[in-house]
Amino acid sequence: MANVETLVIDCLDKPTRDINNLIRQAADDGVPAVEILNTRARHNIGVGILKPIHLIYRGHVGYYTVGLCDGVTAEIHGSSGWGVGDNLLAGEVVVEGNAASSAAPSIRGGSIVVKGNAGPRAGIYLKSGDLTVGGDAGYMSGFMMQNGRMIVCGNAAKGLGDSMYQGQIWLGGKAEEMGSGVTEADAEPGELDAVLETLERHQIKAPKAFRKLQSDRSLWNFNKHDFAAWKDAL
Amino acid sequence: MSSAFERPPAYSGIWHPDAIEEIQEKAELGRYQIRGQATKRHNLPSFDDLVFTPAGLSRMPLEGYRERCDTEVVIGEGRVSRPLVLERPIMIAGMSFGALSVNAKRALGIAATRCGISTCTGEGGMHPEEREHSSKLVMQYLPSRYGMNPYDLKKADMIEIGAGQGAKPGTGGVLLGLKMSEEVAKMRDLPMGVDQRSGCRHPDWMGADDLYMKLEQIREVTNYEVPISIKVGAARIANDVRIACKADVDAIVFDGMEGGTAASPTIQLDHAGIPTIAAIAEAVEALHDMGKQDEIKLIVGGGIKNGADAAKAIALGADVVYLGTAPIIALNCHAPIYIEDYERLGTTPYECQHCHTGLCPVGITTQLPKLMARLDVDEAADRVTNFLNAMTMEIQLFARSCGKNKVADLDPNDMRSLTQDVAMMTGIPMVGLNGRQPWWTKF
Ligand SMILES: Cc1cc2nc3c(=O)[nH]c(=O)nc-3n(C[C@H](O)[C@H](O)[C@H](O)COP(=O)(O)O)c2cc1C
Ligand code: SF4
Repeated sequence: MANVETLVIDCLDKPTRDINNLIRQAADDGVPAVEILNTRARHNIGVGILKPIHLIYRGHVGYYTVGLCDGVTAEIHGSSGWGVGDNLLAGEVVVEGNAASSAAPSIRGGSIVVKGNAGPRAGIYLKSGDLTVGGDAGYMSGFMMQNGRMIVCGNAAKGLGDSMYQGQIWLGGKAEEMGSGVTEADAEPGELDAVLETLERHQIKAPKAFRKLQSDRSLWNFNKHDFAAWKDAL
Repeated sequence: MSSAFERPPAYSGIWHPDAIEEIQEKAELGRYQIRGQATKRHNLPSFDDLVFTPAGLSRMPLEGYRERCDTEVVIGEGRVSRPLVLERPIMIAGMSFGALSVNAKRALGIAATRCGISTCTGEGGMHPEEREHSSKLVMQYLPSRYGMNPYDLKKADMIEIGAGQGAKPGTGGVLLGLKMSEEVAKMRDLPMGVDQRSGCRHPDWMGADDLYMKLEQIREVTNYEVPISIKVGAARIANDVRIACKADVDAIVFDGMEGGTAASPTIQLDHAGIPTIAAIAEAVEALHDMGKQDEIKLIVGGGIKNGADAAKAIALGADVVYLGTAPIIALNCHAPIYIEDYERLGTTPYECQHCHTGLCPVGITTQLPKLMARLDVDEAADRVTNFLNAMTMEIQLFARSCGKNKVADLDPNDMRSLTQDVAMMTGIPMVGLNGRQPWWTKF
C-alpha cells in the first residue's frame, strides 16, 4: 500500500520518457516506492531501472513493463501487455490480472507472478528465475527455456516446454500437448514445498496436484536415429 | 595438353560429383549439411558486373596525393545525443564470441579502433575483452538474448536489433556442441556441449507495431543516447524497409545471400535470400519511396571483398559496408600454414569452410586453447589494419577519379553495367549504350 514515502506519478500528462526519468531519479534518490496512476495500458513504463525501488501500477499496463530492470519490485493492479518483466535480472513483478503474450521473456533472475492467465509463449527463453502463473498458460509456453522454474496452476495449451534445455515446469492442470523433448520427472525432496510456498506467499490457490516436467535432453545433441523429434526441432 | 576439341565431362549435368557427394553425405549424417564461410555459388550477379566511369574531359578528377577525400559517415546524426561517428564507411560485422575466439575478437577490436570504425558483438553477449579493445562497439540484440542485460546495452555505442542474416535468412544461429567452451556456455546460460540452435523470432515482438515499441524500450534503456539499427537477411527488401522506417530506426542493415557465417545449413547458404547488389538497389528505392534516404543510413554486407565492391555499393546508395569474411581472411583464415590440420579436416586452404567444427587450423573460429594460441593478436591486428587501410585507399581512389571529394558523393551516374542482368537490377545503363538507346537510332 502506498505510504508517505511514496512518490506519485500521474501518466496522463507526461510522455513515457519523463515518467521513466522520474522513476530513475526516485530510485537514485532512495525513494522507496512510486505509485503510477492512469497507466492506461501505456507501453514501456518502468524500463531500464537499475536501482532497487518498488513500483505500484494502478491500472493496466502495456508492453515491456519492468523490462530490462535489475532489483526492482512491482505490483501491477490490472493486466499487462506483451513481455512483462522482459529480461529481468533480479526483483519481483506481480501482475494481479492477466498477462498477454510472452510473459517474463528471457528473464535471467528474479520472479514474475501472474495471478490470472498468461498468453502464448509465457516463459519463453527463461534463463533463470521464476515465472508463476495462477491460471492457464497459452501456446508454446516455456519454449526453449534454458533454466529456472515455471509454475502453471491451470492448463497449458499446445507445445508446453517445447525444446527446453534445462529448468523445471510445474503443471497443475492438463497440457493440450507437450512440446518436443519434454518429460515428466519425480520431484526432488523439498521442491514441491518450495512451489507451494511460492503460491501461498502470493495467495494463489494451489491445484490438487502438480506434475514436474523437464527436458529429456533428446534435443541437446542431434541423433539421426531419432528423426521424429528432430524433424521439428533442427 | 589441352586440345581445341576437349570432350565435355562424362558425368551428368544433374548428377555431377558434387551432387553425388552431397547425397551420400546426407545418407550418412541423416540431417542437412552444416558449414561455415559462405555460399559456394559461382553464378551470382556481382559488383564485378559494374565498372566506374571516371573523369576525362567532361569532369575533372581530384589529385590523389593532395586533395582531401572525406570518408566519414555518422549514424544517428541529429537523432540521438551520441551518434556513431565512423571515420570510414566500413563496419566490422557482428560475429559472436563463440563463433570467434577471444583472440580474434581482440585483434579485430584493435584494428577497428586504429581505423576509427566499429566492431559488433554478434550473438552471445558482450565479452569484456571486446569492449576493452573496441573503441566503438555495436551490441546485437538478438532473438536468443544470450548474455543480454541492460548494463552492457548502456556500454554499447550502437544497438543492432538482429532479425536475420544473409547466410541463413529466416532461421536462427547454430553453434554445435563440439565448439562450445565453458565460458561460451556460461555467457549464453546453456549447458556445456549442447548443439545450440538459437531462436529466429524475437520472443516478445512480432509485427511492425511491436517493433516500434521494442525500439522505444531500448531507447529508454539507453537514454536515447545511441543509434539503433536493425539487421535483416536480404530477401523482402521493400516491405522490410517500410517496417524499419515505421519503427524509426537510425540505420538498416541488409546482409545479402553472399554473407558469411560460422555455421549455417548449406542448403540455405545456396538457396535463400537475394544477392547484395540487388538488395542495395531495392533498399535505396524503398528508402526514397519513404522519403527517408537522408535520415536512415543504409548499411550493406555480403561478399564485399575490396574497395571496388565497397565503392560500388556506396555509389548505388549504401552509406556503409559491413565486413565479416574479409577481415577474417586478413586475420589469417585460409592462410597456407598448419597445412596438416587443414588436411585432417579433409580440406585445404582456400577451400576450407570448417568454422562450424571449432577446429580452425589458424585459431580464429575455435575455442581450443592450443589452436587459439596460433593467432598472434598483435600481428593479426596489424594485418587487419593494413587491409582496412588499403581498402579505404581503394574506395578513395574511385571517388577521386570520379571527381568527388567525399566518398559519400559517389552516385549511380559514376558507373556503367557490364551485363544486362545487373543493368536491369540496378538501373545502371549498359556500357556502350550511353543512355540505353543504341547510337544508330538517332540517325
Ligand atoms: C564467423 C562469423 C560469425 C558470424 N556471427 C554472426 C552473429 O553472431 N550475428 C549476426 O547477425 N551475423 C553473424 N555473422 C554474419 C556477419 O555479421 C555478416 O552479416 C556477414 O559476415 C557479412 O558478409 P561477409 O562475410 O561476406 O562480409 C557472422 C559471420 C561470420 C563470418
Ligand atoms: S581457416 Fe578457420 S576461419 Fe577460415 S574457413 Fe577454415 S575454419 Fe573457418
